[in-house]
Amino acid sequence: MALACTLGFKSNDDFNRSLQSEKTDNHIDEFCPKLNIENIAQFITLPPYADPAQYMKMVNDNVDRIRIQFLKGTTTLAFKFRNGVMVAVDSRATAGGFIASGEVKKVIEINPYLLGTMAGGAADCAFWERVLARHCRIYELRNKEKISVAAASKILANMVFEYRGMGLSMGTMIVGWDKRGPGLYMVSDDGERISDNMFSVGSGSIYAYSILDATYKYEMSTADAIDLARRAIVHAAHRDAASGNIVRIYHMKETGWEKIEEKDTNDYMYQFREDKTMNF
Amino acid sequence: MGDDIMSYNGGVALAMKGKECVAIACDKRYGVQNKTIATNFTKIFQYVLFENVSFFLKVQTVSERLRFRTNLYELREQRKLKPLVLYNMLTNLLYERRFGPYFVYALVIGLDPKTGETYVFDSDNIGAISDNVNLATVGTASDYIFGLGELFFKPNMNADELFEATSQALLNGVDRDSASGWGAVVYVVEKDKVTVRELKGRQD
Repeated sequence: MALACTLGFKSNDDFNRSLQSEKTDNHIDEFCPKLNIENIAQFITLPPYADPAQYMKMVNDNVDRIRIQFLKGTTTLAFKFRNGVMVAVDSRATAGGFIASGEVKKVIEINPYLLGTMAGGAADCAFWERVLARHCRIYELRNKEKISVAAASKILANMVFEYRGMGLSMGTMIVGWDKRGPGLYMVSDDGERISDNMFSVGSGSIYAYSILDATYKYEMSTADAIDLARRAIVHAAHRDAASGNIVRIYHMKETGWEKIEEKDTNDYMYQFREDKTMNF
Repeated sequence: MGDDIMSYNGGVALAMKGKECVAIACDKRYGVQNKTIATNFTKIFQYVLFENVSFFLKVQTVSERLRFRTNLYELREQRKLKPLVLYNMLTNLLYERRFGPYFVYALVIGLDPKTGETYVFDSDNIGAISDNVNLATVGTASDYIFGLGELFFKPNMNADELFEATSQALLNGVDRDSASGWGAVVYVVEKDKVTVRELKGRQD
Protein backbone atom coordinates (compact mmCIF):
# COMPACT_ATOMS: atom_id res chain seq x y z
CA MET A 1 0.00 0.00 0.00
CA ALA A 2 3.03 2.28 -0.42
CA LEU A 3 1.56 3.97 -3.46
CA ALA A 4 -1.66 4.55 -1.60
CA CYS A 5 0.21 6.20 1.29
CA THR A 6 2.13 8.44 -1.12
CA LEU A 7 -1.11 9.62 -2.61
CA GLY A 8 -2.42 10.39 0.86
CA PHE A 9 -4.92 7.54 0.88
CA LYS A 10 -6.08 6.61 4.39
CA SER A 11 -5.78 2.95 5.39
CA ASN A 12 -8.50 0.34 5.90
CA ASP A 13 -9.36 1.05 9.49
CA ASP A 14 -10.26 4.61 8.61
CA PHE A 15 -12.83 3.39 6.16
CA ASN A 16 -15.49 5.80 7.32
CA ARG A 17 -13.21 8.78 7.08
CA SER A 18 -11.99 7.67 3.69
CA LEU A 19 -15.50 7.85 2.36
CA GLN A 20 -15.63 11.56 3.04
CA SER A 21 -12.00 12.49 2.50
CA GLU A 22 -11.26 14.92 -0.32
CA LYS A 23 -7.76 13.64 -1.20
CA THR A 24 -8.43 10.00 -2.06
CA ASP A 25 -8.44 8.48 -5.55
CA ASN A 26 -11.44 10.52 -6.50
CA HIS A 27 -11.52 9.85 -10.23
CA ILE A 28 -14.69 7.87 -9.73
CA ASP A 29 -16.11 10.55 -7.52
CA GLU A 30 -15.57 13.34 -10.03
CA PHE A 31 -18.08 11.72 -12.31
CA CYS A 32 -20.44 10.58 -9.58
CA PRO A 33 -19.91 12.34 -6.25
CA LYS A 34 -20.73 10.46 -3.08
CA LEU A 35 -24.20 10.83 -1.75
CA ASN A 36 -24.07 12.33 1.71
CA ILE A 37 -26.16 14.66 3.77
CA GLU A 38 -24.56 17.85 2.38
CA ASN A 39 -24.90 17.22 -1.33
CA ILE A 40 -28.17 15.32 -1.18
CA ALA A 41 -29.96 17.98 -3.22
CA GLN A 42 -27.95 16.89 -6.26
CA PHE A 43 -29.35 13.37 -6.11
CA ILE A 44 -32.79 13.52 -4.60
CA THR A 45 -35.34 16.27 -5.04
CA LEU A 46 -36.04 17.47 -1.54
CA PRO A 47 -39.63 18.07 -0.50
CA PRO A 48 -40.74 21.71 -0.48
CA TYR A 49 -41.38 21.93 3.23
CA ALA A 50 -39.19 22.41 6.23
CA ASP A 51 -39.88 19.33 8.31
CA PRO A 52 -40.37 16.20 6.21
CA ALA A 53 -40.84 14.00 9.26
CA GLN A 54 -43.78 15.96 10.55
CA TYR A 55 -45.40 16.30 7.14
CA MET A 56 -45.11 12.59 6.42
CA LYS A 57 -46.69 11.83 9.78
CA MET A 58 -49.65 14.05 8.86
CA VAL A 59 -50.03 12.33 5.55
CA ASN A 60 -49.94 8.91 7.12
CA ASP A 61 -52.52 9.91 9.72
CA ASN A 62 -55.02 10.82 7.03
CA VAL A 63 -55.27 14.52 7.80
CA ASP A 64 -57.29 16.42 5.17
CA ARG A 65 -58.33 13.14 3.58
CA ILE A 66 -54.94 12.56 1.94
CA ARG A 67 -53.61 9.19 2.78
CA ILE A 68 -50.50 7.50 1.44
CA GLN A 69 -50.38 3.96 2.70
CA PHE A 70 -46.99 2.36 3.18
CA LEU A 71 -47.93 -1.20 3.92
CA LYS A 72 -45.41 -3.95 4.30
CA GLY A 73 -47.71 -6.33 2.46
CA THR A 74 -45.41 -9.14 1.62
CA THR A 75 -43.70 -12.24 2.95
CA THR A 76 -39.94 -12.60 2.87
CA LEU A 77 -37.84 -14.98 4.91
CA ALA A 78 -34.26 -16.10 5.31
CA PHE A 79 -32.59 -18.60 7.59
CA LYS A 80 -29.09 -19.91 8.16
CA PHE A 81 -28.46 -23.62 8.15
CA ARG A 82 -25.58 -26.06 7.83
CA ASN A 83 -24.96 -25.39 4.12
CA GLY A 84 -25.41 -21.61 3.99
CA VAL A 85 -28.43 -19.34 3.96
CA MET A 86 -31.79 -19.99 2.31
CA VAL A 87 -33.79 -16.96 1.14
CA ALA A 88 -37.40 -17.14 -0.06
CA VAL A 89 -39.83 -14.38 -1.06
CA ASP A 90 -43.27 -13.99 -2.60
CA SER A 91 -43.94 -11.62 -5.50
CA ARG A 92 -47.15 -9.69 -4.85
CA ALA A 93 -47.37 -5.89 -4.64
CA THR A 94 -50.60 -4.44 -3.25
CA ALA A 95 -51.77 -0.85 -3.12
CA GLY A 96 -54.63 -0.89 -0.61
CA GLY A 97 -56.74 -3.80 -1.84
CA PHE A 98 -55.64 -3.67 -5.46
CA ILE A 99 -52.99 -6.14 -6.54
CA ALA A 100 -50.71 -3.86 -8.51
CA SER A 101 -48.40 -6.63 -9.65
CA GLY A 102 -47.89 -10.35 -9.18
CA GLU A 103 -44.38 -10.46 -10.53
CA VAL A 104 -42.29 -8.18 -8.36
CA LYS A 105 -38.67 -9.20 -7.84
CA LYS A 106 -38.30 -8.91 -4.11
CA VAL A 107 -34.78 -10.30 -3.94
CA ILE A 108 -32.25 -7.70 -4.98
CA GLU A 109 -28.98 -9.13 -6.26
CA ILE A 110 -26.53 -6.63 -4.81
CA ASN A 111 -23.51 -8.52 -6.12
CA PRO A 112 -22.68 -12.20 -6.75
CA TYR A 113 -22.15 -12.89 -3.04
CA LEU A 114 -24.64 -10.51 -1.40
CA LEU A 115 -28.43 -10.52 -1.58
CA GLY A 116 -30.98 -8.10 -0.16
CA THR A 117 -34.71 -8.69 0.23
CA MET A 118 -37.42 -6.10 -0.26
CA ALA A 119 -40.33 -5.40 2.07
CA GLY A 120 -42.14 -2.11 2.52
CA GLY A 121 -41.75 0.58 -0.10
CA ALA A 122 -40.37 -0.93 -3.29
CA ALA A 123 -38.70 2.29 -4.35
CA ASP A 124 -37.01 2.74 -0.99
CA CYS A 125 -35.64 -0.78 -0.93
CA ALA A 126 -34.50 -0.83 -4.55
CA PHE A 127 -32.84 2.59 -4.40
CA TRP A 128 -30.96 2.19 -1.14
CA GLU A 129 -29.81 -1.31 -1.92
CA ARG A 130 -28.42 -0.05 -5.22
CA VAL A 131 -26.54 2.70 -3.34
CA LEU A 132 -25.28 -0.07 -1.05
CA ALA A 133 -24.10 -2.04 -4.10
CA ARG A 134 -22.08 0.96 -5.18
CA HIS A 135 -20.44 1.29 -1.77
CA CYS A 136 -19.64 -2.41 -1.71
CA ARG A 137 -17.99 -2.26 -5.14
CA ILE A 138 -15.89 0.75 -4.19
CA TYR A 139 -14.80 -1.03 -1.00
CA GLU A 140 -13.83 -4.07 -3.03
CA LEU A 141 -11.78 -2.00 -5.45
CA ARG A 142 -10.01 -0.03 -2.74
CA ASN A 143 -9.27 -2.90 -0.39
CA LYS A 144 -8.85 -5.80 -2.83
CA GLU A 145 -11.14 -8.00 -0.80
CA LYS A 146 -14.88 -8.62 -0.62
CA ILE A 147 -16.81 -6.62 1.91
CA SER A 148 -18.12 -8.49 4.96
CA VAL A 149 -21.87 -8.89 5.46
CA ALA A 150 -21.60 -7.10 8.81
CA ALA A 151 -20.00 -4.08 7.15
CA ALA A 152 -22.44 -4.01 4.25
CA SER A 153 -25.47 -4.16 6.53
CA LYS A 154 -23.93 -1.49 8.76
CA ILE A 155 -23.48 0.83 5.77
CA LEU A 156 -27.13 0.40 4.85
CA ALA A 157 -28.35 0.86 8.41
CA ASN A 158 -26.32 4.04 8.81
CA MET A 159 -27.58 5.43 5.51
CA VAL A 160 -31.24 5.01 6.42
CA PHE A 161 -30.70 6.23 9.96
CA GLU A 162 -29.98 9.68 8.48
CA TYR A 163 -33.56 9.67 7.18
CA ARG A 164 -35.15 8.34 10.32
CA GLY A 165 -38.64 9.74 10.87
CA MET A 166 -38.96 11.03 7.31
CA GLY A 167 -41.22 8.25 6.15
CA LEU A 168 -38.90 5.73 4.49
CA SER A 169 -40.43 2.29 4.61
CA MET A 170 -37.99 -0.56 4.33
CA GLY A 171 -37.65 -3.93 6.03
CA THR A 172 -34.82 -5.75 4.36
CA MET A 173 -32.59 -8.71 5.09
CA ILE A 174 -28.96 -8.62 3.95
CA VAL A 175 -27.67 -12.09 3.22
CA GLY A 176 -24.14 -13.06 2.26
CA TRP A 177 -21.17 -15.29 2.75
CA ASP A 178 -17.88 -13.81 3.92
CA LYS A 179 -14.75 -15.14 5.63
CA ARG A 180 -16.69 -15.57 8.87
CA GLY A 181 -19.14 -17.89 7.10
CA PRO A 182 -22.79 -17.28 6.25
CA GLY A 183 -24.18 -13.90 7.33
CA LEU A 184 -27.78 -12.77 7.85
CA TYR A 185 -28.78 -9.32 9.09
CA MET A 186 -32.17 -7.69 9.26
CA VAL A 187 -32.09 -3.93 8.60
CA SER A 188 -35.14 -1.71 8.83
CA ASP A 189 -36.09 1.89 8.15
CA ASP A 190 -35.85 2.93 11.80
CA GLY A 191 -32.17 2.04 11.78
CA GLU A 192 -32.55 -1.36 13.45
CA ARG A 193 -29.87 -3.87 12.49
CA ILE A 194 -29.78 -7.29 14.09
CA SER A 195 -28.24 -10.63 13.27
CA ASP A 196 -29.80 -14.01 13.98
CA ASN A 197 -30.31 -17.43 12.43
CA MET A 198 -33.83 -16.89 11.11
CA PHE A 199 -35.90 -13.90 10.08
CA SER A 200 -39.15 -13.24 8.31
CA VAL A 201 -40.41 -9.78 7.34
CA GLY A 202 -43.77 -8.54 6.11
CA SER A 203 -47.47 -8.95 6.74
CA GLY A 204 -47.28 -12.68 6.03
CA SER A 205 -44.30 -13.21 8.32
CA ILE A 206 -46.51 -14.43 11.17
CA TYR A 207 -47.65 -17.37 9.08
CA ALA A 208 -44.15 -18.06 7.76
CA TYR A 209 -42.69 -18.04 11.30
CA SER A 210 -45.08 -20.73 12.46
CA ILE A 211 -44.07 -23.06 9.62
CA LEU A 212 -40.38 -22.30 10.12
CA ASP A 213 -40.46 -22.73 13.89
CA ALA A 214 -42.18 -26.09 13.55
CA THR A 215 -39.53 -27.90 11.50
CA TYR A 216 -36.37 -25.77 11.43
CA LYS A 217 -33.11 -27.49 12.39
CA TYR A 218 -29.68 -26.04 11.79
CA GLU A 219 -28.43 -29.46 10.57
CA MET A 220 -31.02 -29.69 7.77
CA SER A 221 -29.92 -30.84 4.36
CA THR A 222 -30.15 -28.43 1.44
CA ALA A 223 -33.16 -30.23 -0.03
CA ASP A 224 -35.02 -30.02 3.29
CA ALA A 225 -34.14 -26.36 3.65
CA ILE A 226 -35.52 -25.59 0.18
CA ASP A 227 -38.71 -27.48 1.02
CA LEU A 228 -39.11 -25.65 4.34
CA ALA A 229 -38.56 -22.23 2.78
CA ARG A 230 -41.03 -23.05 -0.01
CA ARG A 231 -43.71 -24.31 2.35
CA ALA A 232 -43.40 -21.30 4.61
CA ILE A 233 -43.97 -18.91 1.72
CA VAL A 234 -46.81 -21.01 0.29
CA HIS A 235 -48.64 -21.15 3.63
CA ALA A 236 -48.17 -17.42 4.11
CA ALA A 237 -49.42 -16.77 0.58
CA HIS A 238 -52.53 -18.81 1.32
CA ARG A 239 -53.49 -17.08 4.55
CA ASP A 240 -52.22 -13.55 3.99
CA ALA A 241 -54.18 -11.55 1.45
CA ALA A 242 -51.22 -9.31 0.65
CA SER A 243 -48.82 -12.14 -0.26
CA GLY A 244 -48.88 -14.60 -3.09
CA ASN A 245 -48.39 -15.23 -6.80
CA ILE A 246 -44.81 -16.47 -7.33
CA VAL A 247 -42.34 -17.92 -4.81
CA ARG A 248 -38.66 -17.30 -5.48
CA ILE A 249 -35.97 -19.20 -3.61
CA TYR A 250 -32.24 -18.41 -3.48
CA HIS A 251 -29.45 -20.35 -1.79
CA MET A 252 -26.41 -18.45 -0.50
CA LYS A 253 -23.36 -20.70 -0.62
CA GLU A 254 -19.64 -20.19 -0.14
CA THR A 255 -19.26 -19.64 -3.88
CA GLY A 256 -22.00 -17.01 -3.98
CA TRP A 257 -25.76 -17.15 -4.40
CA GLU A 258 -27.67 -19.53 -6.62
CA LYS A 259 -31.26 -19.07 -7.73
CA ILE A 260 -33.09 -22.28 -6.92
CA GLU A 261 -36.54 -21.70 -8.33
CA GLU A 262 -39.32 -19.35 -9.31
CA LYS A 263 -42.72 -21.07 -9.34
CA ASP A 264 -46.37 -20.24 -8.85
CA THR A 265 -47.55 -20.63 -5.23
CA ASN A 266 -51.02 -21.68 -6.38
CA ASP A 267 -49.64 -24.81 -8.09
CA TYR A 268 -47.84 -25.76 -4.89
CA MET A 269 -50.98 -25.24 -2.83
CA TYR A 270 -52.93 -27.74 -4.90
CA GLN A 271 -49.96 -30.10 -4.84
CA PHE A 272 -49.75 -29.87 -1.03
CA ARG A 273 -53.47 -30.50 -0.79
CA GLU A 274 -52.95 -33.72 -2.77
CA ASP A 275 -50.40 -35.05 -0.32
CA LYS A 276 -52.44 -33.82 2.62
CA THR A 277 -49.87 -31.39 4.00
CA MET A 278 -52.24 -28.50 3.40
CA ASN A 279 -55.94 -28.12 3.97
CA PHE A 280 -58.46 -25.94 2.23
CA MET B 1 -56.65 -2.95 2.92
CA GLY B 2 -57.44 0.54 4.14
CA ASP B 3 -59.71 1.48 7.00
CA ASP B 4 -62.83 1.37 4.86
CA ILE B 5 -65.59 -0.61 6.59
CA MET B 6 -66.93 -2.00 3.32
CA SER B 7 -63.61 -3.69 2.57
CA TYR B 8 -63.08 -5.00 6.09
CA ASN B 9 -64.11 -8.52 5.19
CA GLY B 10 -63.79 -8.35 1.42
CA GLY B 11 -65.68 -10.59 -0.95
CA VAL B 12 -67.39 -10.25 -4.26
CA ALA B 13 -70.48 -11.35 -6.15
CA LEU B 14 -71.51 -11.27 -9.79
CA ALA B 15 -74.82 -11.89 -11.54
CA MET B 16 -75.50 -12.24 -15.25
CA LYS B 17 -78.53 -12.88 -17.40
CA GLY B 18 -79.00 -15.31 -20.23
CA LYS B 19 -81.95 -16.59 -22.25
CA GLU B 20 -84.40 -18.01 -19.67
CA CYS B 21 -81.51 -18.57 -17.28
CA VAL B 22 -79.65 -16.45 -14.74
CA ALA B 23 -76.33 -17.04 -13.00
CA ILE B 24 -75.01 -15.74 -9.73
CA ALA B 25 -71.47 -16.33 -8.50
CA CYS B 26 -69.48 -15.41 -5.42
CA ASP B 27 -66.06 -16.04 -3.96
CA LYS B 28 -65.52 -18.13 -0.83
CA ARG B 29 -63.19 -16.10 1.33
CA TYR B 30 -63.95 -15.07 4.87
CA GLY B 31 -61.23 -12.80 6.18
CA VAL B 32 -60.53 -9.87 8.42
CA GLN B 33 -58.48 -7.31 6.50
CA ASN B 34 -55.30 -9.17 5.54
CA LYS B 35 -55.96 -12.33 7.53
CA THR B 36 -57.88 -15.14 5.79
CA ILE B 37 -59.91 -17.05 8.34
CA ALA B 38 -61.97 -19.46 6.26
CA THR B 39 -62.21 -20.48 2.64
CA ASN B 40 -65.68 -21.98 2.55
CA PHE B 41 -67.88 -18.95 3.19
CA THR B 42 -70.29 -18.64 0.29
CA LYS B 43 -72.42 -15.58 0.34
CA ILE B 44 -75.54 -16.85 -1.42
CA PHE B 45 -78.77 -17.30 0.53
CA GLN B 46 -82.33 -18.41 -0.10
CA TYR B 47 -83.96 -20.09 -3.02
CA VAL B 48 -84.87 -17.03 -4.99
CA LEU B 49 -81.16 -16.44 -4.50
CA PHE B 50 -79.96 -13.30 -2.93
CA GLU B 51 -76.45 -12.52 -2.02
CA ASN B 52 -74.57 -10.23 0.27
CA VAL B 53 -70.97 -9.30 0.61
CA SER B 54 -68.90 -7.04 2.82
CA PHE B 55 -69.43 -7.07 6.53
CA PHE B 56 -70.35 -10.62 7.42
CA LEU B 57 -71.98 -10.14 10.80
CA LYS B 58 -74.39 -7.84 9.06
CA VAL B 59 -74.74 -10.31 6.20
CA GLN B 60 -76.09 -12.90 8.58
CA THR B 61 -78.37 -10.42 10.31
CA VAL B 62 -79.78 -9.07 7.06
CA SER B 63 -80.33 -12.48 5.53
CA GLU B 64 -82.09 -13.75 8.65
CA ARG B 65 -84.27 -10.68 9.01
CA LEU B 66 -85.20 -10.93 5.36
CA ARG B 67 -86.00 -14.60 5.76
CA PHE B 68 -88.31 -13.74 8.63
CA ARG B 69 -90.21 -11.27 6.48
CA THR B 70 -90.42 -13.56 3.48
CA ASN B 71 -91.64 -16.49 5.59
CA LEU B 72 -94.35 -14.29 7.04
CA TYR B 73 -95.35 -13.15 3.56
CA GLU B 74 -95.62 -16.73 2.30
CA LEU B 75 -97.72 -17.76 5.30
CA ARG B 76 -100.09 -14.83 4.97
CA GLU B 77 -100.42 -14.87 1.19
CA GLN B 78 -100.27 -18.67 0.87
CA ARG B 79 -98.09 -18.40 -2.22
CA LYS B 80 -94.43 -18.25 -3.14
CA LEU B 81 -92.53 -14.99 -3.43
CA LYS B 82 -91.73 -13.37 -6.73
CA PRO B 83 -88.19 -12.04 -7.23
CA LEU B 84 -89.33 -8.44 -7.48
CA VAL B 85 -91.16 -8.74 -4.16
CA LEU B 86 -88.06 -10.12 -2.47
CA TYR B 87 -86.00 -7.28 -3.89
CA ASN B 88 -88.43 -4.64 -2.69
CA MET B 89 -88.50 -6.21 0.77
CA LEU B 90 -84.72 -6.18 0.86
CA THR B 91 -84.34 -2.56 -0.20
CA ASN B 92 -87.01 -1.57 2.28
CA LEU B 93 -85.15 -3.43 5.05
CA LEU B 94 -81.95 -1.65 4.16
CA TYR B 95 -83.54 1.81 3.99
CA GLU B 96 -85.09 1.32 7.42
CA ARG B 97 -81.55 1.73 8.65
CA ARG B 98 -80.79 4.75 6.49
CA PHE B 99 -78.95 6.63 9.27
CA GLY B 100 -77.13 3.68 10.76
CA PRO B 101 -76.85 1.36 7.79
CA TYR B 102 -76.07 -2.30 7.47
CA PHE B 103 -72.63 -2.70 5.87
CA VAL B 104 -73.86 -4.93 3.15
CA TYR B 105 -74.15 -4.77 -0.63
CA ALA B 106 -76.82 -6.97 -2.12
CA LEU B 107 -77.57 -8.71 -5.38
CA VAL B 108 -80.87 -10.40 -6.10
CA ILE B 109 -81.53 -12.73 -8.99
CA GLY B 110 -84.67 -14.61 -9.92
CA LEU B 111 -86.45 -16.50 -12.63
CA ASP B 112 -90.15 -16.91 -13.25
CA PRO B 113 -90.62 -20.62 -14.06
CA LYS B 114 -93.80 -20.08 -16.05
CA THR B 115 -92.79 -17.21 -18.30
CA GLY B 116 -89.01 -17.67 -18.20
CA GLU B 117 -88.56 -14.01 -17.35
CA THR B 118 -85.20 -13.25 -15.72
CA TYR B 119 -84.40 -10.73 -13.03
CA VAL B 120 -81.09 -9.32 -11.86
CA PHE B 121 -81.07 -6.45 -9.39
CA ASP B 122 -78.38 -4.92 -7.23
CA SER B 123 -78.41 -2.56 -4.29
CA ASP B 124 -76.01 -0.43 -2.32
CA ASN B 125 -76.01 -0.56 1.46
CA ILE B 126 -78.92 1.82 1.97
CA GLY B 127 -81.29 0.15 -0.47
CA ALA B 128 -80.98 2.04 -3.75
CA ILE B 129 -83.31 0.43 -6.27
CA SER B 130 -81.85 -0.57 -9.62
CA ASP B 131 -83.51 -1.56 -12.86
CA ASN B 132 -83.57 -5.14 -14.07
CA VAL B 133 -80.05 -5.22 -15.52
CA ASN B 134 -78.06 -7.67 -17.63
CA LEU B 135 -75.02 -7.70 -15.41
CA ALA B 136 -74.42 -6.65 -11.83
CA THR B 137 -71.42 -6.90 -9.54
CA VAL B 138 -70.85 -5.97 -5.91
CA GLY B 139 -67.88 -6.18 -3.59
CA THR B 140 -64.25 -5.19 -3.28
CA ALA B 141 -63.27 -6.52 -6.74
CA SER B 142 -66.40 -5.21 -8.47
CA ASP B 143 -64.54 -2.72 -10.66
CA TYR B 144 -62.28 -5.43 -12.10
CA ILE B 145 -65.13 -7.88 -12.59
CA PHE B 146 -67.36 -5.33 -14.30
CA GLY B 147 -64.83 -4.86 -17.05
CA LEU B 148 -64.52 -8.57 -17.68
CA GLY B 149 -68.27 -9.10 -17.35
CA GLU B 150 -69.03 -6.49 -20.00
CA LEU B 151 -66.49 -8.17 -22.25
CA PHE B 152 -67.88 -11.70 -21.90
CA PHE B 153 -71.57 -10.83 -21.84
CA LYS B 154 -73.63 -11.55 -24.95
CA PRO B 155 -77.42 -11.26 -25.10
CA ASN B 156 -79.48 -14.50 -25.05
CA MET B 157 -76.76 -16.90 -23.93
CA ASN B 158 -77.75 -20.44 -23.08
CA ALA B 159 -76.99 -21.96 -19.68
CA ASP B 160 -73.54 -23.33 -20.56
CA GLU B 161 -72.31 -20.14 -22.21
CA LEU B 162 -73.68 -18.17 -19.28
CA PHE B 163 -71.82 -20.36 -16.82
CA GLU B 164 -68.57 -19.93 -18.76
CA ALA B 165 -68.92 -16.17 -19.01
CA THR B 166 -69.79 -15.74 -15.33
CA SER B 167 -67.04 -17.97 -14.04
CA GLN B 168 -64.31 -16.48 -16.24
CA ALA B 169 -65.29 -12.94 -15.31
CA LEU B 170 -65.27 -13.73 -11.59
CA LEU B 171 -62.12 -15.85 -11.44
CA ASN B 172 -59.98 -13.44 -13.40
CA GLY B 173 -61.36 -10.38 -11.65
CA VAL B 174 -60.61 -11.65 -8.14
CA ASP B 175 -56.99 -12.31 -9.10
CA ARG B 176 -56.49 -8.56 -9.05
CA ASP B 177 -58.01 -8.08 -5.59
CA SER B 178 -56.26 -9.17 -2.43
CA ALA B 179 -59.47 -9.38 -0.35
CA SER B 180 -61.44 -11.83 -2.50
CA GLY B 181 -60.95 -15.17 -4.10
CA TRP B 182 -59.90 -18.47 -2.61
CA GLY B 183 -62.32 -20.37 -4.82
CA ALA B 184 -65.77 -19.58 -6.17
CA VAL B 185 -69.29 -20.94 -6.38
CA VAL B 186 -71.66 -20.43 -9.32
CA TYR B 187 -75.43 -21.01 -9.26
CA VAL B 188 -77.09 -21.25 -12.66
CA VAL B 189 -80.86 -20.98 -12.37
CA GLU B 190 -83.01 -22.33 -15.21
CA LYS B 191 -86.76 -22.93 -15.48
CA ASP B 192 -86.60 -26.49 -14.22
CA LYS B 193 -83.38 -26.71 -12.19
CA VAL B 194 -80.65 -24.92 -10.29
CA THR B 195 -77.09 -26.10 -10.96
CA VAL B 196 -74.48 -25.38 -8.34
CA ARG B 197 -70.85 -25.63 -9.38
CA GLU B 198 -67.70 -25.02 -7.33
CA LEU B 199 -64.82 -23.45 -9.17
CA LYS B 200 -61.15 -24.07 -8.59
CA GLY B 201 -59.50 -20.72 -8.13
CA ARG B 202 -56.21 -19.30 -6.94
CA GLN B 203 -55.78 -19.98 -3.24
CA ASP B 204 -53.63 -16.97 -2.49
